[in-house]
Amino acid sequence: MGRTQRTRRLAIAVAAITCLVVAGCGGDDDGNNSNAQAQSGEMQMWERTGGNAPMVDALVAAWNAENPNRPIKLTYVQHDQMVPNLSRAIASGDVPDLMGLDLIYGPQFASLGHLEDITDLIGDDPNLATASPGHIEVATWKDRLYGVPLYADVSVLFWNKDLFREAGLDPEVPPRNLTDIHDMAKKITALGDGKYGYYLPGNCAGCNIFTFAPLIWASDKNAKIEPTGPGDEPLVGTSIKPVLEWARMMHKEGLIDPAAQAETGETFAEVFGSGKVGIMGTGNFNVALLQDQNPDLDLGVTVLPGLQTGQASSFAGGDIVTVPKGSDRVKDAVDFMKWLLTDKVQLEVYAKQLNMTTRTDLLDNKYFNANEDVRDTAKAIPLGRTPYTVKFFELINSPNGPWLQMLQRVYYTDDPIDEIIADAKEQMKAIVAQE
Amino acid sequence: MTSVSRSWRGRTKYLVGAACLALCTIMLLPLLASVLASVKSPEEAAAVPPTYVPHGLSFDSYRRLWEFQAGLPTYLTNSLVVALLTIAFALALTVPAGYALARFPIRGKELYFIFLLLALIIPYQALLTPIFLMFSDLGLTNSLVGLAIIHTAIQLPFSLYIMRYSFEAVPRELEEAAVVDGCNSWQTLIRIFLPSLLPTVVTVAIFAFITSWNEFLGALVMMNDDSSYTLPVVLALARTQTSLGGTDWGMLQAGVTISIIPCIGIYLLLQRYYVSGLLSGAVK
Amino acid sequence: MYASKRRQWVGLAYLAPAVLFVLVFTAYPFVRMVWLSLHNWSLLAEPKYVGLDNFTRAFDDDQFWTSLQFTLKYTILITPILIVGGYLVALLTAPNTLPRKLTRTIVFLPVVIGLGASSLLWYWLFSPRSGPINAALTDLGLIDKPVLWLGVDTDLSNWAVIISVVWKVLGFGMLLFVAAIQSIPAEITESAMVDGASYWQRVRRLILPLTMPTVLFVTLVSVIGSLLAFDQFFIMTAGQPHNETATSVFYVYLNSFPFLRLGYGAALSLILAVIILVFTIVQIALARRSTR
Repeated sequence: MGRTQRTRRLAIAVAAITCLVVAGCGGDDDGNNSNAQAQSGEMQMWERTGGNAPMVDALVAAWNAENPNRPIKLTYVQHDQMVPNLSRAIASGDVPDLMGLDLIYGPQFASLGHLEDITDLIGDDPNLATASPGHIEVATWKDRLYGVPLYADVSVLFWNKDLFREAGLDPEVPPRNLTDIHDMAKKITALGDGKYGYYLPGNCAGCNIFTFAPLIWASDKNAKIEPTGPGDEPLVGTSIKPVLEWARMMHKEGLIDPAAQAETGETFAEVFGSGKVGIMGTGNFNVALLQDQNPDLDLGVTVLPGLQTGQASSFAGGDIVTVPKGSDRVKDAVDFMKWLLTDKVQLEVYAKQLNMTTRTDLLDNKYFNANEDVRDTAKAIPLGRTPYTVKFFELINSPNGPWLQMLQRVYYTDDPIDEIIADAKEQMKAIVAQE
Repeated sequence: MTSVSRSWRGRTKYLVGAACLALCTIMLLPLLASVLASVKSPEEAAAVPPTYVPHGLSFDSYRRLWEFQAGLPTYLTNSLVVALLTIAFALALTVPAGYALARFPIRGKELYFIFLLLALIIPYQALLTPIFLMFSDLGLTNSLVGLAIIHTAIQLPFSLYIMRYSFEAVPRELEEAAVVDGCNSWQTLIRIFLPSLLPTVVTVAIFAFITSWNEFLGALVMMNDDSSYTLPVVLALARTQTSLGGTDWGMLQAGVTISIIPCIGIYLLLQRYYVSGLLSGAVK
Repeated sequence: MYASKRRQWVGLAYLAPAVLFVLVFTAYPFVRMVWLSLHNWSLLAEPKYVGLDNFTRAFDDDQFWTSLQFTLKYTILITPILIVGGYLVALLTAPNTLPRKLTRTIVFLPVVIGLGASSLLWYWLFSPRSGPINAALTDLGLIDKPVLWLGVDTDLSNWAVIISVVWKVLGFGMLLFVAAIQSIPAEITESAMVDGASYWQRVRRLILPLTMPTVLFVTLVSVIGSLLAFDQFFIMTAGQPHNETATSVFYVYLNSFPFLRLGYGAALSLILAVIILVFTIVQIALARRSTR
């Protein structure tokens, strides 16, 4: 018995020593904010995957260069794990100091009390006045502010001028309404050889809210897809049914690559670059990508239209940066936020990399003006809209949610559109009614 | 032997040979495809439709993987440390336990055995959150030791099962001889059993390594800090970092290849032990 | 000889570390999970006691039944393939000639790589536009449109995952069967040959019955593993379409993590554990009966 006791003690000693060694070499700052003073020391920041990682990396690097005594340590978290991760962090008392989230989750997190109220700390910062209204709106809850824009994405309409030429269309004239898209797409699809006039992803809820929903908003300024909260009516507006019917028609006439049905978003950004799609809704990030990977493709950028000419809209997306509740570096975090909105950062970090500025008064700058496609993309920013709801994921972004299910039924089945809309309304209302 | 049966014999030989060849091809082809994809140049890796054989060798995918976020060396080290710790813990627990169950007159021993095997039927996914909360009180979140503990818990039932039966397979005469020589239980364990059990020990170590090296969900839940991420988590992350450029298939397959290499290497080197360890423990 | 009492204490001491470990790191979380199953908890509010509500809720939950049904379908489809396929390959490679031993090694190779790595590999292979499978099928003229293997059609997704898992796991059964076949004393098979039995007669009347315990063991392990399938579906289909390929454990994951309905997830785990226990008992009973 003495022997085994000794062995066990030895094992425990080994384990303990291993712990110490590993704790020393492995994750050094385990997120415990005990060593963080008010003004110096490392700050922990989480950011979701699937967003504009290079932009966030650049911002953090720029901040760290200017603030060596309070650098930010960035960790990417799987975007669908953000909610459980943060919940666990709050439950265990071990929260990061900054958190970048997809802006559409702003209302949800704020309403659950997961975020610090920064209204007073950010005060009357003049740069806040011209920050992207879509971002600010979703970062606001009950008149209190919980975050600022981290980066902005807007959705636009691309058209492939080469394919237009090939199909006998004027390459300098973009589609101005949904009928244009249909007619032009038809001519391009007729070229054959794997070329299709249009593209709608079949298995990606986020892609569709980003590039398809604006078609609905453009056609009726009062149209609304999401229910804000319990008791609110979803899918209202005169444009819902006609735009859905238009989408079904586009599919039925074979103007969309059948492989699009499997598109989960993972290859969404490279579809246009293949040169086989004539017209497609996509985002500003695709501009840089194309100029990088397919510089020979003759690209045209315009705004997402509605049923009539002159109607246009866009999805104002991207990320906001917030401070999780329980962080003890709130003041430093807010300094970071203020820093993001300064002229220098907007121009030299955002615009220089051809990313959208998050301040609307700086859209006219030398970097954008030097690049025609980026300049055209920036025109979508004032048109941007962001859905506001506390259950965005379950309603819209979830692969099993009513938004995607509705679209899949519209795109790929023959179920009556009225019935599809009615079912989706039921499901959406049920979701916001749950607690 | 008639000529008919001789030619039948010959034909069977060809059939068998062909079947073996086909099998080997099917098993190796996907692995080969992955390795080939990982050495394509980035443009070729993203090509639609894909090429079968790379037109030129490029290690760019590996370079991108190496520099991804905190860097591949960090993630590889984390995975390796966790795997080694898992091996250590698993052996430290199952060798004595197997010894006890096989060779000692413990009252209710089968009940203990079943208790220790219980983890087999519980989906550990649901246990992760309670464990996380317990670990955060103990300061074990974001730690390689904590993750190793979880991996050990997953691996324990299977390891214990083969360990116990391997112990039982050791001839009693050996043990009795040691007793006659005046050895106590510990000395008997070290001097007599362990050498005979080397195949099983190696098997447990290999299985523990493979389980830990590839485990994904536990690592995802326990690690909130980039510098503690393990390789499977990073590969999953790399898949969803799609905003610019779409899925980086080349880098993904480079990651798959790197994941696979240690497992295959260990298997080929230690095949002797692995195979006989499995067999002696499991064929019952 | 040893005093039996002392032996017992020594034995318990050796057993203690493992028992303690399981108590702390498996049993205690399990007990907490059982407690959780009687509550509703989203991690941040206080847990709310709801009694057996979570269990009755499962019976009315469409997704619970969809997941269960899918898991059973997957298990029923893949198990015979693994057992019969593994056994045939074992028969093929049982003799200890060099080429056959080499084949055995190669067939076992996919077993040692991780399920996660394997799933990522096949996820790429099955990719509609970037994957070599569709490219090869197109080049061979067998299809003219890319097949949407994963995430669009439930049955097709099921088969795609089954293909990848069979590739990966076949060698495991094969190895155990080979061991069992090789452990049949040579005299028995030789005397059967002398009696004029053909190869397949020998297999049916002799080899199969004598290796039946191993067959049943592998079947049991395979069934349990399939009922608990998660990683491969998480990576390859993410439960799509419409959560129809979300296995039971996948649904447990969804409730425990993204949905943050921890109580419900715990209840589902328990229900699943009971189902598996029942399956296991039934299988063991059948096994006992058939080897009598």
